Amino acid sequence: MAPRPCAVLGIGQTKYKRRRDDVTLDGLVREATLRALEDAGATFDDIDAIVIGKAPDALEGVMMPLLSLCDALGAIGKPIHRVHTAGSVGASTAISAVNLVESGMYDTVLTIAYEKQSEGNATWALSGGKSGGQGAGGTFAPWIRNYIARSQAPEHIGWMVAVKDRLNALKNEYAHLHLPDISVEKVRESPMLWDPLHFLESCPSSDGAAAMVLGNDDIAKKSGRPSAWVISHAKRTEFGQFPGRDTVRPQAGVECSEALYRKAGITNPREQIDCAELYVPFSWYEPMWLEGHLIAEEGEGWKMTDAGDTELGGSFPVNMSGGVLSSNPIGASGMIRCLEAANQVRGTAGEYQVPGAKISIGHAYGGAAQYYAMWMVSSELNPEL
Amino acid sequence: MPQLHDVDYTLEYPYTRTTGPVIGPFLTGLRDGRILGQRCGDRVLCPPMEFDPDSFATLEPDLVEVGPGGEVVNWTWVAEPSAKHPFDRPFGFAFIKLDGADTDLVHAVDTGGDPQAMSTGMRVRAQFRDERHGSVADVYFVPEADAADQVIEPGEEPVTITEHLIGLRINEPLYPHRARFAQGLLDGKIIGQRSPVTGKVYVPGRGYDNMSRVLMSEADEVEVSDVGTVVAFTELNPVQYYGQTETEPYVRCSILFDGTDQPVIGIDIRDMTVDEMRVGMRMRCIWRDPEERSVEDIDNRYGNIPETVYARFEPTGEPDIPADELKEHSW
Repeated sequence: MAPRPCAVLGIGQTKYKRRRDDVTLDGLVREATLRALEDAGATFDDIDAIVIGKAPDALEGVMMPLLSLCDALGAIGKPIHRVHTAGSVGASTAISAVNLVESGMYDTVLTIAYEKQSEGNATWALSGGKSGGQGAGGTFAPWIRNYIARSQAPEHIGWMVAVKDRLNALKNEYAHLHLPDISVEKVRESPMLWDPLHFLESCPSSDGAAAMVLGNDDIAKKSGRPSAWVISHAKRTEFGQFPGRDTVRPQAGVECSEALYRKAGITNPREQIDCAELYVPFSWYEPMWLEGHLIAEEGEGWKMTDAGDTELGGSFPVNMSGGVLSSNPIGASGMIRCLEAANQVRGTAGEYQVPGAKISIGHAYGGAAQYYAMWMVSSELNPEL
Repeated sequence: MPQLHDVDYTLEYPYTRTTGPVIGPFLTGLRDGRILGQRCGDRVLCPPMEFDPDSFATLEPDLVEVGPGGEVVNWTWVAEPSAKHPFDRPFGFAFIKLDGADTDLVHAVDTGGDPQAMSTGMRVRAQFRDERHGSVADVYFVPEADAADQVIEPGEEPVTITEHLIGLRINEPLYPHRARFAQGLLDGKIIGQRSPVTGKVYVPGRGYDNMSRVLMSEADEVEVSDVGTVVAFTELNPVQYYGQTETEPYVRCSILFDGTDQPVIGIDIRDMTVDEMRVGMRMRCIWRDPEERSVEDIDNRYGNIPETVYARFEPTGEPDIPADELKEHSW
């Protein structure tokens, strides 16, 4: 039996900020949820099930938050599911919600992801609470250097990505970082954190939540609002360490994108996809994922960045919203990539809209670059490629 | 099997909580000697809630004083209090319906350690602690007859953020394969496990080959060389989080020891700078004297080859291994 078509009916985001000291954790997820319901023209009564995701519980020290957040999410008396795949969780959560609609089990599903990073410390949590933690940047830096060595990319590529995403963020009211005077010089002169990553090439630590209302084709038609159809999605996993692992171009990432494109009939992603929201917490991951997800040939990703192709107005815009480099409520970051891809194809991306965008992808990765979740959305259920 | 230390550490962090528009006034009230409930339709909820649990509607902050007296609706007895409990003697946890409230507050009742003094339907009254921080633990309950009159001086600023040291103690034996690996380090040996399926050698072994999905036991263990090749390195500028003892930058590297198929990650290098490190560089472990070696930092999840067993790693002076031959080991 073919899956039921699934559409994004409503999108809600909070303002992303270093510390949201005006709301509780409950109030934070509530804010995104109410905005998504409003955007969908729906109420809690319309929701059949809830899927929630966040990064490790140790980030805020709230165990099993899906239970304590039931009131805020209107989940009393309804099924609630929790998803956890480290940093990729926001996208995995969205896809898990799509599965529930596609299966025919539920007509309308609310999905939400969040992090209130200010209530704990992510590097402490990623270090298992021990001194001497390496953190995400310390882990990824050697892999990035390997990418640079392999691809012969010039060092300014990372700086360019850092500037581009922050300039895009200026057009997004929800973005955490608004750095109007960002420049390649400022990025280059900012402190070196983990060679080759400078401070301004790294993501911020944010509080925030993101939510979507998803529904099947009947609900979408009834709503009479522009929908983003989820025409394909894929998740893949590999071990964090094993002999033969390519950490620059992980096989699970390659296979995830192959599965995503195959299901949608995409044979030339660079040409057939209009724009992408990729999970880029450190600048160099833009060219690495352009290659690792088969948008560019191996060794060619940085040339797209260098030529300005990935800018708003370029031939393949990436992270039009400002990306993870501008807002990073970890658990929500993957869901933001998915909902911003949906904003593009619905034509609701405001100042950072790619004109006429018809097909877009949202992507996230997590752990030691070992979990992948990607979805493809389109303005049409059966788009002409 | 070697008898090594048990793992015993506490994973803890001083988390903060933003209290928001309803819980904030409730905690401020407790600090100031008052218990507040939140109006919800024609009911008063105590503890207060931000959202109507029936209709899911957002509740506008509308707090009214309840208590300090109330009735025990149900209760249980804590015969052996832990360090985190509110009393160091046996006490009751009770559902308490405070006067003026329509819902029950779960809280602690001190009867001087006497379970016979607890009963359903008993009257209790709030008592406030001398030191109050805007916490639910600022208050406790006693049988009404035992209650003392208190004069509480209100504090100044409203309670908007609270801090809580939340932790989990982990106390368990080292897994057998971890104990043998750690004992090897004390003996100046690096012990790996060779997969019986693929012949690949893993250091430290996990007790199973995750690629072939087979268990690996003592019979699969091999001593490997303490000379190897740097496959990745990074300079750490320590983030100053709670419990961090590192203050200065240092280098951390991954070394593929000769005869193995997976690098040991997280080896600390304290006497070389990042400029002196190269992928492909050959390095040798210079062990500490046997009596100076310690493996206390090794637990079942963290700790590979800790600094406490070696004096340093030093370059052997051999020619580098070409980086492209190390592609599949770049962790």
